Amino acid sequence: MLKYILKRVLQFIPVFLGVTIILFAMENIVPGDPIKLMAGEKKLDPQTEINLRASFHLIQTDADGNPIYDENGDTIETPMWERCALYVNGLLHGDLGISYQRKGQAVADILGAKYPYTFKLAVVAIVLEAVVGIGAGLVSAIKRYSFWDVFVTLTTSILVAMPAFWLGMLLQLFFGVYLKDWTGGAFYLPISADFSPSAVFDEGMYYILPAITLASVSTAYAARIMRSQLLEVMNQDYIRTARAKGLSGRQVIWRHALKNAMIPVVTYIGNDFGAMMAGAILTETVFNWPGVGYETYRAINQRDWPIVLGSVTVIVILVMVINLLVDISYAFLDPRIRYGAPKDEA
Amino acid sequence: MAETKITRRAFVGGSLAASALAALAACGQKKAATTGSGSAAADNPTATGNTLVFYINDPVAIDPYNLQESEGAQVGQILFDSLVDWDFEKNEWAYAAAESHTVSEDGLTYTFTLKDATFHNGDKVDAASFKRGWERLLDSKMKTPGEIGYHLAPVAGYQDMVDGKATELSGVKAVDEKTLEVTLSAPMGDFMAVLCHPGLAPVPKAAVDDPDSFLLAPIGNGPFKMDGKWESGQYIDVVKFDDYYGDAPKIDGVHFSIQKDPDTAFREFEAGNIDFCQIPTGRLKENAKKYGEAEDGYTVTPKHQALFGSEMSTYYLACNLKDETIANKDLRHAISLAINRQNIVDTLFEGKRTPATCIFPPLIDSDSSNAWKYCPAEPDVEQAKKIIADAGLEGTEVTLNYNSGGGHEDIMSIVQSDLEAVGLKVTQSAQEWAAYLDSLTNGNFQLGRLGWIADYPTMDNFIYPNFFSTADNNYSKYNNPELDAATEAARQIQDETERKAKYREINQMAGEDLPIIPIMWYSHVHIGSERVKTLFYDPQGKADLDKAELNA
Repeated sequence: MLKYILKRVLQFIPVFLGVTIILFAMENIVPGDPIKLMAGEKKLDPQTEINLRASFHLIQTDADGNPIYDENGDTIETPMWERCALYVNGLLHGDLGISYQRKGQAVADILGAKYPYTFKLAVVAIVLEAVVGIGAGLVSAIKRYSFWDVFVTLTTSILVAMPAFWLGMLLQLFFGVYLKDWTGGAFYLPISADFSPSAVFDEGMYYILPAITLASVSTAYAARIMRSQLLEVMNQDYIRTARAKGLSGRQVIWRHALKNAMIPVVTYIGNDFGAMMAGAILTETVFNWPGVGYETYRAINQRDWPIVLGSVTVIVILVMVINLLVDISYAFLDPRIRYGAPKDEA
Repeated sequence: MAETKITRRAFVGGSLAASALAALAACGQKKAATTGSGSAAADNPTATGNTLVFYINDPVAIDPYNLQESEGAQVGQILFDSLVDWDFEKNEWAYAAAESHTVSEDGLTYTFTLKDATFHNGDKVDAASFKRGWERLLDSKMKTPGEIGYHLAPVAGYQDMVDGKATELSGVKAVDEKTLEVTLSAPMGDFMAVLCHPGLAPVPKAAVDDPDSFLLAPIGNGPFKMDGKWESGQYIDVVKFDDYYGDAPKIDGVHFSIQKDPDTAFREFEAGNIDFCQIPTGRLKENAKKYGEAEDGYTVTPKHQALFGSEMSTYYLACNLKDETIANKDLRHAISLAINRQNIVDTLFEGKRTPATCIFPPLIDSDSSNAWKYCPAEPDVEQAKKIIADAGLEGTEVTLNYNSGGGHEDIMSIVQSDLEAVGLKVTQSAQEWAAYLDSLTNGNFQLGRLGWIADYPTMDNFIYPNFFSTADNNYSKYNNPELDAATEAARQIQDETERKAKYREINQMAGEDLPIIPIMWYSHVHIGSERVKTLFYDPQGKADLDKAELNA
């Protein structure tokens, strides 16, 4: 077992290096020069441009950080492998570099300030998704063709079809603007996130609308998967056997059907959590959520490669660790699964 | 058998996730419990008290060494005072941190006497702090070197410092505590306007000792000081600085609400949580009616809250003169004549922008003789057709290049139909901004959309960067030695009337060659809340927050 874990951890290294190399290759292939992009529609003064390139090690510099010129008076570009090596070296020292576009700010600080918000929002959204999605799916499967089944089917169809930003806007208008008008300002919900000292609401209130928006589509899918799985399981032989034994309908569902029907739903929700941890661009934009999703999106648009690299690195590590944990736990939970050499029973 | 095994694995993974969810659900509930009382806060909306809530986009920097876009300049301007400041009412510079100044007869040496003032941390504002601040703009050893050093290009020693040959800006001397001497490499009539830039501010020693903190919580000499640090993507809080040397602000502070999406900001405005923001495109007239229009277009007062004043910026098409087709001057004339500028501003901007008939927005210079011969507001289709027929240009293929998003598609579609109406074949090429900038820089375009926003409200700032042969922003690769010589001469003229006349001449030279085709002049599309008693939002897009007043 230990051997297996060690092997898997060692596998992290090539995966991680592979991803880093792909990203560095992208930096060279994708059009758009991050340094030229800095000045917006205006153009940078040529010497300033050189100084900026030197400060990011995009061109060769001497020990003092002054750019080195070749015999033609041109600067010398740092080769990709060297920048890649510099980056990995920095990473091993806990240094993710400096953002191109957020002047002088360290990538680790920028992402470090945003990840907690992404994580907290993802947790709230996932809980909502699990409770509402599974609940609605159950009701609609058990009371098939009833009013509630039709209601759930219709609602989920609408939610699946509705773009997140549009739903977000509607929620903002209804709960933030109209509700405030109608109740004379007695009750309403915050429109966009505000975690400043002068914030009006308790922190938790700011999660409500974004979490609903973020969870909406996945909740609808979860409900639909739940419904179809439960219906399918109910037709299985062992359910018939359970009924034949004389168990009540409730017992059949709770003790036999549900356990098996849950598998795909929970797998779906689990994957969704991973996706949410990478950030949610639309929800973050509409609700002004200070998360990593929008930051990464902005960084891609502005070719802020240090930020892109940083956030992708974090995501890659997260996913690898989660996968490893899940695989290890299989061995503990299912006696039929064994990792490593057949005789290694550790 | 294999099938059940997979199902089993999936189940185990699933139950793991489920238990994790249960754990998370527990913390979710705790959260819900604490939020139960949240709605009670409703009678305490954000936009209350004597703090103004101001919408901005996330700035690039608020440290003066890198103030460039309007957001950064807006925040920097109220934290710092430069030597002088632009007075938009009188349309000339006015003293800020400087008390007086003299200029040597040759126009090369400016000597400033400073007012008595302190920084927010109690340090004295002396001549050395100006020198320190200016040199940071050019210091290539900053963690990320600044991008706005070009403002100091007229100062002697600029090139040496940018090139890394000098660590000091030789043209700037702190003669004594209160005397700052600035030597230029060549006379420049508009130098005082340059000095109005908020980036040319003094900084205390702390900026050099602890640059990382200074970056996010700069210590300035302006009417407001930082309250906490800039929370990227969230907010910036500033409060009134009690020891300010000038008139004390009438509001206690400003809460800059940093929003990603202007539409969200507008919904916050509608809910009464933001005091100043933009009106979403397509809803200008509706909101002008609902909230009332400001009489001067720039000052928010109750019931006159929507601002549509003209800005100092021009939306134009850069003509790639290195391109064989576009190099044909007749073609450029015909294209410019064919474009229905009035139609663009009427249909897409509800008539709130103005058709551009030359490079100078009216606020820069409104002289009636400025209009270019080939740039009418209403198209001259007959003449355009005649030029095309005479030059045998029927069916010429031209491409409109622009960056996707931002509503440019709609503008370009109108231009396309206008050009097709006079017999040209037009294609559109929309690229994402980063890729588009590459095309512009590498000359892979024919007619490229761009906007020019004034750094300083001077005519030179429209002529030099766009038309001078070696200027950085000359994407057209326009090279007219006659215009270059005239511009260099104009820059040195000290007499204002004479200088203006010269720039008007240069404007007409460009109008004949059409290296760019102006389309329209931008306007404000901003709105203030009913709480705002008075707030002036200047044509360069910066609010005079130190003079703003709120109704209690």
